[in-house]
Amino acid sequence: MAHPVPESRLVSPDVHCAHLRHKGMYVLTTPDPGEQKHAGTWDATAYWCTQTQKAMGPDGSAANAACCVAGNGRGCCH
Amino acid sequence: MKPFAYVKAANEQQALAALGRERGKVLPLAGGMDLVSLLKDRIATPDRLVNVKGLDGTITATPDGGLRIGSAVRLVDLQAHPTVTAQYQALMEAAAEVGTPQIRNLGTVGGNLMQRPRCWYYRNEEFPCLKKGGARCYSVDGENQFHAIFGGGPCHIVHPSSLAVPLVAFGAKVRIVGPRGEREVLAEEFFELPERNLYGETALRPDELLTHVIVPPARAMKSATYEVRFRSSHDWPIAFASVALQLQGSTVTDARVVLGAVAPIPWRSPEAEAALKGQPLNEATATKAAEAALAGATPMTQNAYKVQVAKTAVKRALLHAAGVSA
Amino acid sequence: MADEPMMPLDESIAGEQVAEVNLPATANPNSPYAWPKERRILSTRVNRIDGPVKVSGRAKYSYDMKRPGMLYGRILRSPHPHARITALDLGPALKMPGVKAAVPIAKVGGKLMYVGDEVAAVAAVTEDQARDAARAIKVEYEILPFLANVEQALQPEAPPVFEGGNVKASQTEEEGSITAGFAAAAHIVEQTYNTQVQTHVSLETHGCMCEWEGEKLTAWVSTQAVHGTREGFATSLGIPQANVRVITEHMGGGFGSKFGPDVQGIACARLAKEAKAPVQLMLDRREEHLAAGNRPSAYAKIKAGVSADGMLTAFEAESWGTGGAGASSGFPLPYIYTFPNRRRVHKDVYINAGQQRAMRAPGHPQGCFITEMLMDELADRVKMDPIEFRIRNLPPQAPNAMWREYFKIGASKFGWDKRHATGDPTPGPIKRGMGCAANRWGGGGRGTQAQCEILPDGGVVVRCGTQDLGVGTRTLIAVIAAETLGLQVKDIKVELGDSNYPFSGGSGGSTTAPAVSPAIRVTVSKVLQELATRVAPAIGVAAADITASGGRVHSKTTPGKGLSWADACKRLQTTPVSVNAGWEPGLSASGSSGVQFAEVSVDIETGIAKVDRILCVQDCGLIVNQLTAESQCIGGMVMGVGYALYEDRILDRNTAMQVNPNMEWYLVPGMSDIPKIDIMLMNQPERGVIGIGEPPTISTAAAIANAVANAIGVRVRSIPLTPQKVLTALEGERAGGTQ
Repeated sequence: MAHPVPESRLVSPDVHCAHLRHKGMYVLTTPDPGEQKHAGTWDATAYWCTQTQKAMGPDGSAANAACCVAGNGRGCCH
Repeated sequence: MKPFAYVKAANEQQALAALGRERGKVLPLAGGMDLVSLLKDRIATPDRLVNVKGLDGTITATPDGGLRIGSAVRLVDLQAHPTVTAQYQALMEAAAEVGTPQIRNLGTVGGNLMQRPRCWYYRNEEFPCLKKGGARCYSVDGENQFHAIFGGGPCHIVHPSSLAVPLVAFGAKVRIVGPRGEREVLAEEFFELPERNLYGETALRPDELLTHVIVPPARAMKSATYEVRFRSSHDWPIAFASVALQLQGSTVTDARVVLGAVAPIPWRSPEAEAALKGQPLNEATATKAAEAALAGATPMTQNAYKVQVAKTAVKRALLHAAGVSA
Repeated sequence: MADEPMMPLDESIAGEQVAEVNLPATANPNSPYAWPKERRILSTRVNRIDGPVKVSGRAKYSYDMKRPGMLYGRILRSPHPHARITALDLGPALKMPGVKAAVPIAKVGGKLMYVGDEVAAVAAVTEDQARDAARAIKVEYEILPFLANVEQALQPEAPPVFEGGNVKASQTEEEGSITAGFAAAAHIVEQTYNTQVQTHVSLETHGCMCEWEGEKLTAWVSTQAVHGTREGFATSLGIPQANVRVITEHMGGGFGSKFGPDVQGIACARLAKEAKAPVQLMLDRREEHLAAGNRPSAYAKIKAGVSADGMLTAFEAESWGTGGAGASSGFPLPYIYTFPNRRRVHKDVYINAGQQRAMRAPGHPQGCFITEMLMDELADRVKMDPIEFRIRNLPPQAPNAMWREYFKIGASKFGWDKRHATGDPTPGPIKRGMGCAANRWGGGGRGTQAQCEILPDGGVVVRCGTQDLGVGTRTLIAVIAAETLGLQVKDIKVELGDSNYPFSGGSGGSTTAPAVSPAIRVTVSKVLQELATRVAPAIGVAAADITASGGRVHSKTTPGKGLSWADACKRLQTTPVSVNAGWEPGLSASGSSGVQFAEVSVDIETGIAKVDRILCVQDCGLIVNQLTAESQCIGGMVMGVGYALYEDRILDRNTAMQVNPNMEWYLVPGMSDIPKIDIMLMNQPERGVIGIGEPPTISTAAAIANAVANAIGVRVRSIPLTPQKVLTALEGERAGGTQ
């Protein structure tokens, strides 16, 4: 049986805060061969923090893959 | 909603007694189609509601051949009444355009005339607008695409009633009762501009009740209402018009032209009426009358398009009333 | 409503130009669980098994849940678009009648970023008491500068509201040589296009019922992910995931906005803990519009070139949009068509408004509208039929890229040959026109696990921790199980929507059908093998020779040898067979394509556009249930009509407060606004199952907008196509032209 594995290309347990979430972390997809071919690169990801349930961390600053990374100096990161 | 006491009145006298003098703190409830949402949205916060469904709910002929319509008549019954459908087409058509079948099944004639404006600043509690006792009309430099193009402010609502417009076109009166007895007021004078009455929309005093609408005899009148609304399903009109015509052959001997959803009151247009008198009714004269009706419009920042919509409504109502196809 | 040619994909359609793809775009016919070649129930029209309980009002949604002693929760929200909380006192609320608990959500000193941002929550015996109590909470705010719209945020003198800037530029996307591309162009179009902010308007609002039993939490949640929401509750509350159970028996839509407990879910759980009573906290319509997600707006300033023979040569775009407070707004651009030379820069613009969430095909309707409008403008420049022009510029045909074929099939069905050139020459105020647009989507899923039991009394139970958003997943499971076991749909009991059932991913990205269908096929096939092993001695053949069909369990080679289903199951005596298994590759795929056509009537004296009919040509691999696949198309197109004509989250430009947080002025299509809808579902059984939740909504608005331009001869480059915009465009044309 093929067990589900995390697939988020955006959030990695090695790099990102353990509280960072986006929809793709809950939805298991298989790659669409047409995606790269016809759509290019673009980002519409909506992030949230598990501690606030919204796109701001407990410190009031934005929660997303660019800023919720190790070594960012924010006290809220795990 | 704020908790309130509830009283049921069996008739006019009981209703008047129960309503007392502190309107606002005590409000009449008929179909509840407007009032309940006002309560839920906390735009109205009365201490007491008086159920006035016991008011006259019948439509009867007057001795001179007109109609006397009780304020508790439901819209669905008004719309289907044989005399209304045969002789007062503009009223029938306006009633048929109100809300949805569910709303027409419960909504009443009195409630339709007395409903409060649908202005989105007025209806959202968060905006302390002029009409609610605040300092400014948010529509002036805000989102005014559905606001008035006539009336001069300082509040720029459009009157929400569909029935008021044909009733003004017919020269109808409303019967009002109060502690000082009863009176009849021309519909045209019943509705008041914000410059005269900022916090209400009618001449009804706080201790009075609207009980009837009295419509003069139709005689050979040809009438029609033409409403322009975006959605075919439930939606508020962008503009509409009711016209009442007396014709000799195809020549207009008398005309009343009233616009809806363009001003804080049903907006009668003497200019359009004058343009029609003595003219044959055809597409060209209807277009001229429509131009005349809107010549004095003063659109706001985002609602100039309503001028064109209202012109179309006037033109089509006229042609429709006279049975001329465009 | 729909006529559905069951068109198998044959060589002549696939043609010679098959694209290279990274993954097999077909299912594996050698899989031991391969879909049957002769389909008895699969691909037919099967009524929803939960239809009767829904239409009779007996289905219990999270909104309908009632628990003994339950309380109602309400949230106090920020009345300001940007403010700092300087004082917060729950005391007055706790003194209100019926109030049992109050919890802060925001912190003193914390910032609120939009009207509707959560401040605190209360629970009381009645809903009205809770509403009143929320109003009684005392909050002091320090009002901060705010941005009510994109135009304000882009002003150089705009106040710095967001850390790191109000605008976040993305990287430049570039391919080929723009200079060479424009040099090769015979015509160049330069225009700006835009789309509005759309909200999800799920009929069932967000929310849940939370009930604690000691340290264990049961939550009935309106969610697209029961397992994900379990994880969300546990992580957010700091409790073991094993102590959380999330249930979603029936659900009234989510469209991408319901993937976790959300602020209200966590507040609800905390209130229930504090009050020691079950609490239900469902949002109202206003809260939905303000704080429960939306589709970002999109703007694009485009310069594009076309050669004299109708080949696209160059595309240069600067795009932007807002996803609200600090959220992204990306979308694909250009969409589908091949511009050999292109450059695009996008920036996210932050404003003080509710944050975007995934919404039915995130990004695609925006990119589709903008690109397809542009395509018609370019086709007009070279005086070419829009379909011929599109076909010239489409990527090569492939199983996941069938637009050429679908445009041809659809054009014939729709009567495209009756389309006039831009601008209906018919006299009178009513102008009619036609338009078209294409879409693509992934829709591949995996990872779902399931359990199937065959009971000694003949009963069959399938359990799966997926959820049915209202799309027919429950029925899909029954169809596959019945097909596999040779039974009828009514013979299968389906249990889903519970995090105690085997794991399944969230229902997003059109992944549910392709993730769940293989899992059910594999699991039920395996349970049948188990049954075969148990009854083989009684039938007198080897287990490997046993199959099930027509209500019998019998030998494959000697079909006369066998038992009725009931008799076979009786052999199980007191012990059922039970199997847990899951998704395997080879039964599903990813990558779908579709096209849509619209015909509209526009009254040029009122500016009112009405959609007369839409045709959808769409594939989704192997169709599991023709009826619910069509329903997905219908729902997507109705949503697309709303996007094209009506829906618009309107924020007051001076206060950043939404003026239409309701369904009175935030218009969605009503029954009489819905056009005649025709659907041509293109069955591709050899590809396996692909999801169809998203693609049908992508190209509806683009097709409608192109039809409106074709009708009135003037292009309205902004949706929704309100009478205000249509009349203003016509007026501009009369005053000297906008082209």
